[in-house]
Amino acid sequence: MAFDKMELQKIEVWDGNRAAAQALRQSQVDVVAAYPITPSTPIVEGYAKFLADGYIEGEFVMVESEHAAMSGCIGAAAAGGRVATATSSQGYALMVETLYQASGMRLPIVLNVVNRALAAPLNVNGDHSDMYLGRDSGWIQLDAYCPQDAYDLNFIAFKVSEDHDVRLPCMVHQDGFITSHTAQGVHTLTDDEAYGFVGEYQPMNDMLDFEHPVTHGVQTEEDWHFEHKARQHNDLMTKVMPKIQTAFDDFEKLSGRKYNIVESYDMSDADVCVVCMGTSVETAREVATEMRAKGIKAGVVGLRVIRPFPFFEIAEALKGVKAIAALDRSSPNGAAGMLFNELAGALFNTGTKALLSGYVYGLGGRDLTKAHLVSLFTELQKNVDAGKVTTPLQQFIGVRGPKLSFL
Amino acid sequence: MANKGWDEFEIGAMLRTFEGKIDDIAGTLQENRAYSQNSSFVASVADWRIIKPVFNKDFCIDCQFCWVYCPDISIISRDKKMIGIDMDHCKGCGICVEVCPTNPKSLMMFPEKADEETELAAWPAKNEEKK
Amino acid sequence: MSENKNIKNLKEFSTSADRFEGANLLCPGCAHSIIVREVLNATNDDLILSASTGCLEVCTAVYPYTSWDASWIHIGFENGSTAVAGAESMYKALKTKGRLKQPDRNPKFVSFAGDGASYDIGFQWISGCMERGHNIMHVVLDNEVYANTGGQRSSSTPIGSSATTSPEGRRSYGEKKNKKDMVSIMASHNIPYSAQVAPNKWKDMVKKIQHGFSVDGPVFINAVSPCTTEWKFDPKDTMHLADLATDSLVFPLYEIIDGHELNITYRPKTVVPVEEYLAAQGRFKHLFKDEYKHLIKEWQERVDAKWAQLNRREEARV
Ligand SMILES: Cc1ncc(C[n+]2csc(CCOP(=O)(O)OP(=O)(O)O)c2C)c(N)n1
Ligand code: SF4
Ligand code: SF4
Ligand code: SF4
Ligand SMILES: [Mg+2]
Repeated sequence: MAFDKMELQKIEVWDGNRAAAQALRQSQVDVVAAYPITPSTPIVEGYAKFLADGYIEGEFVMVESEHAAMSGCIGAAAAGGRVATATSSQGYALMVETLYQASGMRLPIVLNVVNRALAAPLNVNGDHSDMYLGRDSGWIQLDAYCPQDAYDLNFIAFKVSEDHDVRLPCMVHQDGFITSHTAQGVHTLTDDEAYGFVGEYQPMNDMLDFEHPVTHGVQTEEDWHFEHKARQHNDLMTKVMPKIQTAFDDFEKLSGRKYNIVESYDMSDADVCVVCMGTSVETAREVATEMRAKGIKAGVVGLRVIRPFPFFEIAEALKGVKAIAALDRSSPNGAAGMLFNELAGALFNTGTKALLSGYVYGLGGRDLTKAHLVSLFTELQKNVDAGKVTTPLQQFIGVRGPKLSFL
Repeated sequence: MANKGWDEFEIGAMLRTFEGKIDDIAGTLQENRAYSQNSSFVASVADWRIIKPVFNKDFCIDCQFCWVYCPDISIISRDKKMIGIDMDHCKGCGICVEVCPTNPKSLMMFPEKADEETELAAWPAKNEEKK
Repeated sequence: MSENKNIKNLKEFSTSADRFEGANLLCPGCAHSIIVREVLNATNDDLILSASTGCLEVCTAVYPYTSWDASWIHIGFENGSTAVAGAESMYKALKTKGRLKQPDRNPKFVSFAGDGASYDIGFQWISGCMERGHNIMHVVLDNEVYANTGGQRSSSTPIGSSATTSPEGRRSYGEKKNKKDMVSIMASHNIPYSAQVAPNKWKDMVKKIQHGFSVDGPVFINAVSPCTTEWKFDPKDTMHLADLATDSLVFPLYEIIDGHELNITYRPKTVVPVEEYLAAQGRFKHLFKDEYKHLIKEWQERVDAKWAQLNRREEARV
């Protein structure tokens, strides 16, 4: 049997979901086990349709829950082939048990996560609650800011995840609706270029090698468990970043598009900066440029790689700045925000004198407006002028009612 | 197996049963397989036993009941003949003795410390009351 | 489809080279192991196996040892069925794409799980696998209790059994609800084959497993697995308990083909009273108190009614 190649325009008008689905097709994924949930559904529907139309060969398994989707992906990945799926929000939450199992068994799986709020109350729109939920699960997490990124990062994800020195599953995050359902121009690769980049799947410890039977998913107790978890953490801490960097470099050679572990914008001489993720990065960049016209030297740092956390890269990006705002799009529910804490950890033992404050924004798809960012940058400049943080360390922005701030 | 450090084993806590390649597992008897150090075949649970089965081949009719019902793959049958017990894997449950249909039984349980030769010499005669 | 292994009698069966190893950590006398051996030895084909969390799993793959001589995977408590279904999907994908390393094999995909993992927490996963038509066999090791975690009730636990979460006591005779009829539920997915088996009836077992391996589509097998620890009997009596289970008709042996054609596959020459089956187990000991004697009678009536129903279904050929 064979399948047909697809002739793509140099630039296609795709939303983030379409872009991710096309990347799965071009990577010739062998098995997709999936369950629908807004806003990620079109990704797996896309794979199913490509299969139905003969643009890909493989198996699409429409299972009965997201837990089963990831369970099926784990079985398929352990069997030995290229595996991917997609989910969001409640589906992601239902998958959590299996996320740890997939990474602990060192199985390469690409999971497209179209970020969406977590109930209750139920909400279908984008925030980063689901993305944050998985941050200790042992997966690699890459963050797309727009459909182009969603397309490109899927190729990077397969390349890194399946590398025999890595063998860790990888999520590609994009913001629900703002990225997933907003069509933009996406520069494409030809089918041959894309598959050439990702490469043929190289099996390892594959169950379907009948001449080398393998046991996956053992029991370990206090005499072994720690060592296995330590090994996984070690590999995340030491092996993944260099592979991502190489993949980014190779991808730039192929496509001309440059990705960085930490995406710095106007940071070389910035006094104040915002650190954020997802579509907010692009909004913040626009506002930062506008702030410069008003005399405030503003910059933006976006995380491209969330896990492993770019501890040194982010400290390097922030080394000259005087005031930093960490923007968390997930309710910390009784603590400082994740990003705030990570940045504090990364900067604490450095020579930085930067003032760090945290902001919680955009829950349940609430817009982060330019006006919000203008006042935020202005506040940061005030901190710089005062030589101390003049506001509470944690402020909610864009929420109705009396001003909400803590710490 | 020695307790290895975190950097010394296969990722994913993955285990391999055999050393190298094995072609036809179902067609290869245990003695001809290259088990790895990670197969429980190389381990022993002999110290679990308080009582142990002793086999008296004089009465055995090779019916293979003990083979099929032994939970611990400890009845060694080759060429349709019961030839002995794998004392590394036998847990001393006593099922084989229960299912053995001969009279007297061809398998009997004795204390773990019992001497096999002595017990064989003192094997009971046919029990006339039983069927 | 590969040729079924030729197993005419026990002597022939005993030439099988086991693909499940000793020095696992199952209790002495555990029936799980006997069932697994009979299933695996029913074929010479390659195997891709899974186990859901439970006694079988925690006792057969305790690092750094594995008792499995075929590729085996455990993910969690609820999803062993879907694990092999995923592997089976990959097999199909790689077969289509011509990427199998050994394309000439006929692997069988088998998922082993306890009654807790099958009747309760994994129910939805198994139902999904059956409905989707994967070429897999799901085998329940039915000891009617959560044995691995110390004896809590499952929806397979029968009335009157004392489990730690439905204990007998001054005001209770133990479990109040009747066992779920999983074989019928699974047959209702219109799968090609579902059956109830028992390790003591090895020939019936092997025949059914071989039938299961020969059909195209999902297969469900419920195997009674007497548990020395939770049923409370001497380990040497495991096969005796299995005999009592089948011969009292508490565990009737039958098969359902294509979701409707029911065949009873074993009719005991002498039917043993249910009372004898109950009396052999500590978990039912309290039922023999005067105030609960009626429960034993009701037990017998339920077993008779179920047997009559099975016979009607067999005759009706519905
Ligand atoms: C999600 C989840 N819930 C609960 C458990 C705890 N647990 C592990 S095994 C088990 C009982 C297993 O019972 P069963 O499936 O009947 O198998 P058995 O041990 O009786 O063979 C339980 C409750 C778990 N491991 N995972
Ligand atoms: S005592 Fe039990 S484990 Fe030992 S050989 Fe007999 S049946 Fe097997
Ligand atoms: S059950 Fe008894 S007679 Fe039959 S093979 Fe075993 S030892 Fe021999
Ligand atoms: S508790 Fe029961 S099922 Fe579990 S290992 Fe022991 S005998 Fe087997
Ligand atoms: Mg059980």
